[in-house]
Amino acid sequence: MPDKTLGQIFVDNPRVSARNVDVFYGDKHAIDDISLDIGASQVISFIGPSGCGKSTFLRCLNRMNDTIDICRVEGEIKIDGRNIYDPLIDVVSLRARVGMVFQKANPFPKSIFDNIAYGPTIHGLASSKVELEQIVETSLQRAGLWEEVKDRLDQSGTGLSGGQQQRLCIARTIAVSPEVILMDEPCSALDPIATAKVEELIHELREQYTIVIVTHSMQQAARVSDRTAYFHLGKLVEVGDTKQVFTNPKHELTQDYITGRFG
Amino acid sequence: MTDQSTKNLSPRQASERVALTIKARKRKESQFLFIGQSAVAVAIGFLILLFAGILSKGIPGFFQHYVTLEVQLDAAKLDPTGQMTIESLSQGDFDGAVRDSLYLALGNPEGRKAKRDARKLISSGSSQRLMTYVLNHPQQMGSTVAMKFAVDDDVDSFLRGFISRETSEADRRISDLQISYIDILDAQNRLSYEISDYLFFGSASRDAEMAGIFGALIGSLFTLLVCIILAFPLGVGTAVYLEEMAPKNRLTEIIEININNLAAVPSVVYGIMGLAIFIIVFGMPRSIPLVGGIVLALMTLPTIIISSRAAIRAVPPSIRDAALGVGASKIQTIVHHVLPLAMPGILTGTIIGMAQALGETAPLLMIGMVAFIVDVPTGVTDPGTVLPVQIFMWADFAERMFVQKTSAAIIILLTFLVSMNGVAIFLRKKLERRW
Repeated sequence: MPDKTLGQIFVDNPRVSARNVDVFYGDKHAIDDISLDIGASQVISFIGPSGCGKSTFLRCLNRMNDTIDICRVEGEIKIDGRNIYDPLIDVVSLRARVGMVFQKANPFPKSIFDNIAYGPTIHGLASSKVELEQIVETSLQRAGLWEEVKDRLDQSGTGLSGGQQQRLCIARTIAVSPEVILMDEPCSALDPIATAKVEELIHELREQYTIVIVTHSMQQAARVSDRTAYFHLGKLVEVGDTKQVFTNPKHELTQDYITGRFG
Repeated sequence: MTDQSTKNLSPRQASERVALTIKARKRKESQFLFIGQSAVAVAIGFLILLFAGILSKGIPGFFQHYVTLEVQLDAAKLDPTGQMTIESLSQGDFDGAVRDSLYLALGNPEGRKAKRDARKLISSGSSQRLMTYVLNHPQQMGSTVAMKFAVDDDVDSFLRGFISRETSEADRRISDLQISYIDILDAQNRLSYEISDYLFFGSASRDAEMAGIFGALIGSLFTLLVCIILAFPLGVGTAVYLEEMAPKNRLTEIIEININNLAAVPSVVYGIMGLAIFIIVFGMPRSIPLVGGIVLALMTLPTIIISSRAAIRAVPPSIRDAALGVGASKIQTIVHHVLPLAMPGILTGTIIGMAQALGETAPLLMIGMVAFIVDVPTGVTDPGTVLPVQIFMWADFAERMFVQKTSAAIIILLTFLVSMNGVAIFLRKKLERRW
């Protein structure tokens, strides 16, 4: 095991910067001293074998781990220079800035319109109904779903296909105009065609958002991300430009994983 | 036997051995199927028997015998002060008016005994009935109206054939003279067998022919109203707190275990507690629906909490993640997403709890809702009784007619219970479809 992360941990003008982060589930040490910068307008993918802590680290970035009673986070994570674990930080406003897309598409069992409108409504982003409709439309357009659903906005979001549901969840996330979007294996339940659509979407969203994606597919990491981070047993082994990590990994473990020797 | 034959059977040998076991396996399966099906058949048989029993006894209870009499409404007798108010009418001699019309129909019997026997033919509530009629129809004052009066419960039993003419006079509850009067009335086509208005609109009464469930029904409604107002918000709130908010520690564990145990506490214990705390310590009056409702609320709370918690737990965690992920606060997540999804289960549990409360007798006996109360309660602080307690009291009375009225009241109670369960099923189906 490496004592130190190899590759480029730091970037200029990071949007997210994590320093010496440790996460414990009760007695279990799930994340061991991870430091990592994530730049703005950048897609970074987290790869690694199951149980390596990549999802746990992702969930630290919008404090979703708060919902787990026994979870304890140490260290410092700054987004735009402010420590998100500061007691003065309101977790609600943090999650409005750091959106999340989950492994399993989880639309609310409400209409497509209400799914998108929910976030803007609770955060008071729209001052009128027209404005709200505008937000819903642009969010669906950006998620590439508008053409498919514009005639049935009042139908239930759970009636869409799996791929459409996942894009609906992405649209729901971008409707609250976040800065960072966290995606936790967003394509693991999708077929190749739906996966291609989501990847295309990630490609388009990278201009405006910082995207962090956890994936089990190395091809996907190679296709969508600018940087790749390899996690192993709670440690960040290596991080670097995607091309470099996949063509010329610095660490033996990374090499073994991407060549399929384990994982 | 060689090693090879035991370790690796040839496919043919294997299928032969399988064939041997198949018969036994199939037999076991059909045995179990037979046991299950006969259990269902026995259950259905008993259900049919039960319903046939209740209906055959209870349906006659919805009817009773009436006698039609022409009553002369003489203003001077009935309304001596001429104001047509309850106060002035209550000084009028309605008893006499009814009596006179009865004597007229019977051909003016002579002598005190004959008159007394004649009087006892009709319900003692007849004068009250006439007074109510006059109050509602003041323009009829001065004319002669044909009115139906309930016959006395013994006469009713005689007309139903429960009292036989052949029994010697000393052993039956009506005299030979009365039987001859009944024959006279019957010959004049004055007797009729009709749906009992006393059953539905009457209140508690010692006279079986006048006894009705109306007061008890209103008492039940008030009691359930208090019960649901207290139990529903408290129960759902408790379930939400325990399921979504409370830290998982020793204390909440103890609370959970105790709530589950409370669901199994005999209901009469809640009654004793109600008596000890609300009536003795807090000094609240006895027999009132308010105390009854509080006691029943305490009794149904565990049911509501347990079913609500199960419903909340059944909401997929991904929905909570989704709401938290877009920045909803915990309360917003619960109110906007978790509770609407859990509502069918919560409502089902609540209605089942209410149905349980509607059928409860024992705790209400303890707080005095078993009192004999003629007036229909007009609020939660008026003394009253409830349907099951009314049934309990009627079942205790000796008069023959109460047997039928008891069965009829049981049918009414069952109707309420079945329709409440029906509402529960309907709500669950409807709300589930919406989501």
